[in-house]
Amino acid sequence: MPISVEGSYPWPFDGRLEKDNTALLIVDMQVDFCAPGGWLDQLGVDLTALRRPLDPLRRVLNASRSSGFRTIYLRESYRPDLSDLNRTKLWRTTHRGVAIGANGANGRVLVRGQPGTDIVPELAPQSGEPVIDKPGMSGFYASELEQVLRGQGIRNLIVGGVTAEGSVQATLRDANDRGYECLLLEDCCGAAVPQDGKATLEMLSILNGLYGSIAHSAALLKAIE
Amino acid sequence: MMQSRTAYARISADPYDWPSDGTLEPTNTGLIVIDMQMDFCGYGGYCDQMGIDMSLTRRPIEPLQMVLERMRAHDFHILHTREGHRADLSDLNKNKRWRSARNGAEIGSQGPLGRILVRGEPGWEIVPELAPQPGEPIIDKPGKGSFYATDLDQILRQRGIRNLIFAGVTTDCCVYTTLRGANDRGYECLLLEDCCAASEVANHEAVVRITKSNGGQLGAVSSSEHVLETVV
Repeated sequence: MPISVEGSYPWPFDGRLEKDNTALLIVDMQVDFCAPGGWLDQLGVDLTALRRPLDPLRRVLNASRSSGFRTIYLRESYRPDLSDLNRTKLWRTTHRGVAIGANGANGRVLVRGQPGTDIVPELAPQSGEPVIDKPGMSGFYASELEQVLRGQGIRNLIVGGVTAEGSVQATLRDANDRGYECLLLEDCCGAAVPQDGKATLEMLSILNGLYGSIAHSAALLKAIE
Repeated sequence: MMQSRTAYARISADPYDWPSDGTLEPTNTGLIVIDMQMDFCGYGGYCDQMGIDMSLTRRPIEPLQMVLERMRAHDFHILHTREGHRADLSDLNKNKRWRSARNGAEIGSQGPLGRILVRGEPGWEIVPELAPQPGEPIIDKPGKGSFYATDLDQILRQRGIRNLIFAGVTTDCCVYTTLRGANDRGYECLLLEDCCAASEVANHEAVVRITKSNGGQLGAVSSSEHVLETVV
């Protein structure tokens, strides 16, 4: 009997959940977004809702690795000379108080190679798990993500990370347009603004899962453990 | 007289007057009207037949007509998008087709105005009130975002457009996905609140709020009224 995950609809849509065609995609779980001393912490954002995915994601990561699924990490980051940073974004983050590229408690904010762009230790990548740098919110824009997914034959994506209202939904929307079959784990998504994270999950759930199925991590664990 | 204008004041917007660097010019600024198609917001189209309240998705038509007329008179770029698939459905993702069938409106099946979301069918056409004029690019797209599998980025670059004003349906789906794609690509974006609509008001409002939060993380939000008072 094919395995499926209970959610907006039984996922994946065609029942083809296999270790070779499925990856767990962890979005932007980096120090700058969800650890003390990171960029958002310096901006005064409450980290509670951003750190909420840590425990469920760790359980999912363990189960996913045991099931033989691939793990792929995304992180938002820029070149040290900021040549890949849009002027609009530099202007806006300057006005927020701590610009991308400025010196902070964990090195230069959102700059590749600085401690702030490390994945948080609770979810540290293992050797052989791709970590993909991206200069925007969507994992598909100006990054190697699509090439890595094609190279590894991935068709199903299990998605979690931060922020729900930012990079997670941007990546989910682009993955869906590209035909990837996505499962969004609602309890594995964190928000910078809890009200916006909740509103995002609501808008993504329209029409019984217009961008993919949405489920609780317990449903995934039940299916694969 | 109007054609001699090259620069305009910033458009009053939230959380900052737009564009941020003050370079509002007809040559570098485009209005992009997303998916104002018969099946989504025309009488007799698919959504109308399903009994969906058309007053929501038709709400942008009137303010958009005024904005279009004004921006055309001042020689701003106007672009349109349409969601639709090839007649043989070779560009339709299998999961998208499966989900549409599950919701009772399988893409490619017969609807009230021809095959649903198939290019060339009456239901796929842009509503007559907002008909594109000759020379205005129409972008056909097989997804929600207008940058995926289309020539939109190429056309914007070729024309030197860097400021984009967003309108159309639905706010939380195709408008928002395209706005996000544009923002990642460095375009300076403005969402016209009264020229967009969603099937659920709460989702429309959430998109507006998220777009302008954190100092305008995806751009700024304004209305037809402010465009009309600036582009004069």
